[in-house]
Amino acid sequence: MTHAIHTLRVLIAISLFVMVLEICARLDDYISYRAPILDTYSSASLYENDQFGKRGRPFAQYRKWQLNELGYRGPRIDKDRIPIVIFGASETFGLYESEGKEYPRQLERELNTCTGKPIYQVINVAYPGQTLSTATRRVPEIVARIHPMMALIYASPTFYIDFPLRRSSALPVQAEKLPAFEFRIGERLQNVAKSLLPEYVQTGIRSWQIQRSIGSKSPMERLPQEALNYLAEDLTEMVITLRAYCVEPALVTHATIFGAVSRSPNRAMLVAWRKFYPTLQEDGFLDLEMRANRTIREVAVQQQVALVDIAGELPGDRKYFADFVHFTDAGAALMAKDLAAGVEPLLRRWSNYSDNATSSSTSCNSGSAATR
Amino acid sequence: MYALGLLCTSVVVWHVRSQRGRQIILLGASCGFYASWGPWFLGALVGSSLVNYVLGRQIRRTPTRPWLLLGIAFNVALLGFFKYLPGIVSQIVGQTSTFSRIVLPVGMSFWTFQALSYLLDLYREKELDPTLLEFCLYMTFAPTVLSGPICRLPDMLPQFREYRPLTRAGAQAAAQRIGLGALMMGLAQLLGAGLRPGHGINNGFDGAGMLAGSDVWLLAFGYGFQLFFDFAGYSHIAIGAASLLGIRLAENFDGPYRSMSPSVFWTRWHMSLSSWIRDYVFLPLATMRREMWWRHAALVLSMIIFGLWHKGAPLFVIWGTYHGILLVLHRLWQRLQHDLNFRWEGTAQSAFSWALTFAVMCLGWIFFRASGVKQALGMFATLLSLASYVRPVLPTDLYFLVATLILGYFATTALSARTDAESPVLSWIPMELRYACYAVALYLIVFRAAQPQAFIYSQF
Repeated sequence: MTHAIHTLRVLIAISLFVMVLEICARLDDYISYRAPILDTYSSASLYENDQFGKRGRPFAQYRKWQLNELGYRGPRIDKDRIPIVIFGASETFGLYESEGKEYPRQLERELNTCTGKPIYQVINVAYPGQTLSTATRRVPEIVARIHPMMALIYASPTFYIDFPLRRSSALPVQAEKLPAFEFRIGERLQNVAKSLLPEYVQTGIRSWQIQRSIGSKSPMERLPQEALNYLAEDLTEMVITLRAYCVEPALVTHATIFGAVSRSPNRAMLVAWRKFYPTLQEDGFLDLEMRANRTIREVAVQQQVALVDIAGELPGDRKYFADFVHFTDAGAALMAKDLAAGVEPLLRRWSNYSDNATSSSTSCNSGSAATR
Repeated sequence: MYALGLLCTSVVVWHVRSQRGRQIILLGASCGFYASWGPWFLGALVGSSLVNYVLGRQIRRTPTRPWLLLGIAFNVALLGFFKYLPGIVSQIVGQTSTFSRIVLPVGMSFWTFQALSYLLDLYREKELDPTLLEFCLYMTFAPTVLSGPICRLPDMLPQFREYRPLTRAGAQAAAQRIGLGALMMGLAQLLGAGLRPGHGINNGFDGAGMLAGSDVWLLAFGYGFQLFFDFAGYSHIAIGAASLLGIRLAENFDGPYRSMSPSVFWTRWHMSLSSWIRDYVFLPLATMRREMWWRHAALVLSMIIFGLWHKGAPLFVIWGTYHGILLVLHRLWQRLQHDLNFRWEGTAQSAFSWALTFAVMCLGWIFFRASGVKQALGMFATLLSLASYVRPVLPTDLYFLVATLILGYFATTALSARTDAESPVLSWIPMELRYACYAVALYLIVFRAAQPQAFIYSQF
C-alpha cells in the first residue's frame, strides 16, 4: 500500500513537473510577447489563404513578427511617404534578425538618411515560401493598395529545384492550419537539444534525413537548364507586369553565406541547406546560385532593368548570415547599405523624371501610380 | 561539453587510487580546460606557475625580504602588464598602440593572487612543501582558475594528497550545488535582460540619462542582486564541480545581504578575496603603526586595493574609497557607542541596521556598474533630488521583477534556515511541490539563462 502511494506521488510529481514547465513557457510567451496563455500560439497564425495561396493576416503577431493592416511585415502604411516594395521570400521577410532589423526596414532608414528627410517607406511584401509566380499574381492587388514607385525583386533560386511544383500552373503555397493544441515547451526543448549537439552530429542526422527522404532515387548533380529558364521567364513576367502598372522594377542578385566565389565551402552548411531540397546534391547548390545570378543579370540586360548585384558584394561570413541564406542583423545592415547605394541614384533619377512627365503616361494600368 | 568533461574527469579521478596519478589527471584536465579559452593563456599561466614555484623554493630556503619583494614585484608586474597597462596606454596614446590591445588572460587576477598568497605564506614560514606538479595543479585547478574562489595552498595541499571516495550523498549534494548555482546565474541573466526585451537592469544603466530617484534605487538594488546571483551562483558551481573532483573549497558567499553592518558584509561577500585582502594587505598595513588614524587609513587603502583588483579605473578607486569610508564610519560609530556607553538593541535596531546596511551597500554598486564617473555622480544627484521621484521611467515589470526576486530570496533563505544544512535543497516542502519548483528552476536555467550574456566577474 505504502509502495503504491509512493508510486502515485511520484507520478503526480512528474505530471506536475511537466505541467509547470508548460505553464512557464506560456507565461514567458505572455510576458515577452503578450501571447495568449490558453489559445494556440504558432507562426501559422501569421498567415491565411486567399485565391493565390498563403498571405499575411492583417495585424497578426507572433513573437517578434508583427504584420501591419495589409498583412505585410512592418509598420502601418504611411500615405505621406513614397512607397517602395520588396518582393521576395523568407530572406526578405526576415527570420533571424531582431525586430526592426530586417533589411527592408534598414533600407528604409538608409534611404531616408541619404535624403535627410523621412521621404520613403519600404514595404516588405515578402512571405516565407513565396514564389515569383505567386508574387507576380499579387502585383495588381499590391499596386492598388500601395501605389509603389519602385519594386525590388529578391528571388530565391532554390525554389526552382522543385521547378515543376513551383510553376504558376501549379497550386500556390498554402498557409499551414493552426494546430488545435501544442506543447509550447516541446519546441523549446527541441531548440535547446539542437544547440547542445555538436555540429558534426547535427550534420550526421541531417545526412540521414536526406537519405531517408530521397530513398533509392539518385539526386541531381546539377539543376537542369530548364529550371533556370523558368526563373528567367518568371522574372521577365514580373518585370513586365510591374511595368504595366507603372512600377519601376529593379532586380537584385541572390547572396549566400558561401560568398561570390567559394573555393572551400562549409560542407556542414551545404548539408543543412540540402535538407530542405534533398533532390539536389550539395555542390549543385553552389552551381545553382552561380547560374541563377547569371540568369538574373541576363534578364536585367534583356529587359533593361536596373540591377543591384549584391551577390558579389556581401562577404560569405557567419557574421552576416545566420544560416545558408538568411541574414543576421549585421548582414541585413550590410545588405541594406549596399541596396541603398544601388537604389538611391535610381530613385533620384526616376522621381525627377516622374515630376517632369506628370500625368502623360496614360498607358499605365494604375492611375495613381502613373502620376507619381 | 564542459559538463561532460567534468563528469568524465570525476569518474576517472574516483577510480585512480594513486595520489600522483590523480594529480596528473586533474592537472591535464585543468590545463585542457584552461587552454580551451585560449592556448596562449595557458602559456602565461604555466610560465607564472614555474617562476612562482622557483621563487617559492628560494623563499622557503631563505625567507628574506628581497626574495619576497622580487616575488611580489614579478606578480604585480605581470598583472600590471596585462591588466592595467592597456588601459593606461589607451588613455595616453589612444587605441592605436599595440599595448592597448593586450588581452588579459582569463582569471589572471584570481590565479596571480593565489601565487602571491603562496609566496607570502612561505615568507611567514608556513610549512608548505608542494611538488611542482602540486603547485601547478593549485594554480590551474579547473573549477577555480577562471573566476575563483581564490584558494590558499595550505587548504588545498592536504586535499591533493588525500583520497576521499565520493559518496552518493556527496555526489547528490554537489549536483544540487551546481543546479542551485545555475539557477542563480539564470536569475542574474533574467535581471540583466528583463522579462521583456529591453526591460532589464542592463538597459536601465545603459540609458541612465533621464532616470527618476526611484529608478536609481531600483537599479542599485537590482544590480546588487544581479551581481550577487551571478557571482554567488558561479561560486556554487565552482564549489560543486570541485567537490565532484574530491576537493572541498571554502565558501565564497554567506548571505551578505542579511548583514547588519558594512564590516559584517565584507566578511560574507566574495569571502575568498576579502579575507585575502584582510590577511595580506590590511593586517600588515594596520600593524605598521599604532595610531587610530593609521588603522582607518589602512582600511581605506585596503578597500581601494580591493577596488583596483577589479579594474584599474577611477570608478573602482571611488568604489573602494566609498566602502573604506563606510567601514571607518562604522568603526567610529562603534567607538562612539562605547565611549557614551550607549546601547540600542532589539528588533527595531536590527531592522534599522539591516535596512541601512542593505541600502548603502547596494548604492555602492552604482560605482561598480556605471559606465563612467559622470553617470555615477549623475545617478547619486538624482537620488538626492526630491523632484526626480515624481515620474519613474523604468518599466513597471522591472520593478515587479526586482521586488519579486528580492522578496523571494529573503523568503527562501529564511525558510531554508529552518532546515539543517545537510538536508537536500527545498526539503521542507512536499515532494510534489518540490518537483514543481524544480520545473521552474529548470525553465529559468535552460530557457532563460541560455540567452548569451557574459558572466559579470569573468571580466575581472
